Amino acid sequence: MRKALKQMDKFTKTCVGWMILMVLFAAVGPLLPLPDPREADFESLGASIFSPGHILGTDSNGYDLLSNVVNGARTSLMIAFVSVVIGGTIGSTIGILSAYFRGRLDYFINTLFNIILSIPNLVLSLALVAILATSADPTIPTSPNRRVYVILISLTFVIIPILGRIARGATLTWINREFVLAARSMGMKDRHIILRHIVPNVLPAIYSVGFLAIGVVIVAEGSLSLLGVGVVDGVSWGAMIARVAGEFTFTPQSMYVPVTVLALTVIASNQIGDYLRSRLDLREGKI
Amino acid sequence: MTTLLSIRDLVVKFRTHRGMLEAVRGVSLDIPEGTSIGIVGESGSGKTVLSRAAMGLLSGSNVERTGTVTFDGNELTAMTRDEVREQFGTGIAMIFQDPMTALNPVRRVGTQIAEGLRIRLGMSKQDATKRSAELLAFVRIPDPESVLKKFPYQLSGGMRQRVMIAIAIACNPKLLFADEPTTALDVTVQAQILTLLADLRKELGMSMVLVTHDLGVVANNTDYVAVMYAGEIVEQAPTTELFANMKMPYTEALLKSIPKIDGPAHVRLPVIDGRLPDPTDRPAGCGFAPRCTYAQAKCHSDHPPLEDAGDGHLYRCWFPLGQTIARKA
Repeated sequence: MRKALKQMDKFTKTCVGWMILMVLFAAVGPLLPLPDPREADFESLGASIFSPGHILGTDSNGYDLLSNVVNGARTSLMIAFVSVVIGGTIGSTIGILSAYFRGRLDYFINTLFNIILSIPNLVLSLALVAILATSADPTIPTSPNRRVYVILISLTFVIIPILGRIARGATLTWINREFVLAARSMGMKDRHIILRHIVPNVLPAIYSVGFLAIGVVIVAEGSLSLLGVGVVDGVSWGAMIARVAGEFTFTPQSMYVPVTVLALTVIASNQIGDYLRSRLDLREGKI
Repeated sequence: MTTLLSIRDLVVKFRTHRGMLEAVRGVSLDIPEGTSIGIVGESGSGKTVLSRAAMGLLSGSNVERTGTVTFDGNELTAMTRDEVREQFGTGIAMIFQDPMTALNPVRRVGTQIAEGLRIRLGMSKQDATKRSAELLAFVRIPDPESVLKKFPYQLSGGMRQRVMIAIAIACNPKLLFADEPTTALDVTVQAQILTLLADLRKELGMSMVLVTHDLGVVANNTDYVAVMYAGEIVEQAPTTELFANMKMPYTEALLKSIPKIDGPAHVRLPVIDGRLPDPTDRPAGCGFAPRCTYAQAKCHSDHPPLEDAGDGHLYRCWFPLGQTIARKA
């Protein structure tokens, strides 16, 4: 572990540091001595960055930006991690099994993945949110909690074909290796071959694309909020952007702050994914 | 001497976009217990497909296999996949051509050897680790304890092939298929591996099928030889008989194209002109006729049957060597 840290370049270290900070915010955000993210400070509407009491300023409603960034990390990262982990697990399981057993089902699954992938992420999740989040009574808006679940489900659905196709492709490259044949010639069952021979080789590809997918999902959550279907009333980075979307010319910091945090997080997760891929591929590269 | 593995009229076809590719065309072969059989042929002659099809390792919707394979009294071709699997490892095992790709790159050598022991023989983790070290020592790897903890990329080609052999013999198979076990190795290591295989065969009482393109390898390491060409056995005999009294011009051409240490210097090595017939469109006559220096009209039109010259010497040629009529051409 120490050795791995020593070999890491500065940029990757910074990215890992940023990611850890964000995860820390998500974990202990509400415990930090910050103003309530949902409570407006009417004394200082649209305060600029570094104003006393509001380090990152406030937006035009008087909400403290730092507090929103810190507390918003929980919703944003939770949505990203949960949808990537669940979607990734479902997707890669389908992908690996489909590639391993081939046949007509594989053809069907691959076609299905391609069809889903041909629809832009945002359009697909927008459509799913629109279908899933309909309120029974049109006069009462759906609760923020329900919205979070709906976004979670729709983003998970978006992730499934992305990682499914990666897993399928990676499995196909490993399946014809002689060690799989060797395992079969030793009388190993399909279950053993998949778990012990295919999965360990496919995992690096899934990890790295998984981190890229986290970035995609964070951006998607923000974009959905901007379109007004995200966690608009809740506390999330997307909600911060959505709230000030119409008026950020007056209080630019209220847009720059969440966008910068969001961008840095996406860059960090992409870099970590990239770094993992290059590290884990090393063994293969030496062959 | 009882027959351990019996292959009867094995035909393997692959469905390709260019039509049916007949890789193995009606091969029959018996492997008696405790013997070593060499299958020789050039690239594309169907020797690897034959050995894999005999084990039933070729799967997929584009493979068609007919004929029967009987192992140790059980008809493998009539069994379900699960039943055949029971025979693998403990009954039949296989070692592969390229030790670079035949080991899983992300798993330690020790776990890969122990895997067969634990799953197939139901050993505990400690027992399997202990036995793995013994197996590595058995295949003459120095310091087996430390090798167990290594990844395949940390080992040399010869070491990896030894590890492959250790994995294959882990469950004491009765029959070992060695599919070009030395092709990917350099000559000195080749000799070591072949000696090792011969020793192991004696110590464990295994039968072995040695698939190779090198007649030299076969000459020293086998009791019987089957020469394959274009998916068929074209000559089959006890090894000493084959080299003393070859009947098929193809065998002779193969032997001639091996460089000899006592041959004249600066002389062009004889080669077999032409190439294998298109496997999707086999010629009507003898498959070797277009490349055969002795070929006559009949060779191009009629397919020669497998003839018996006595003493288990079979050949597939209209004008076998050693008969005056063949010399005329």
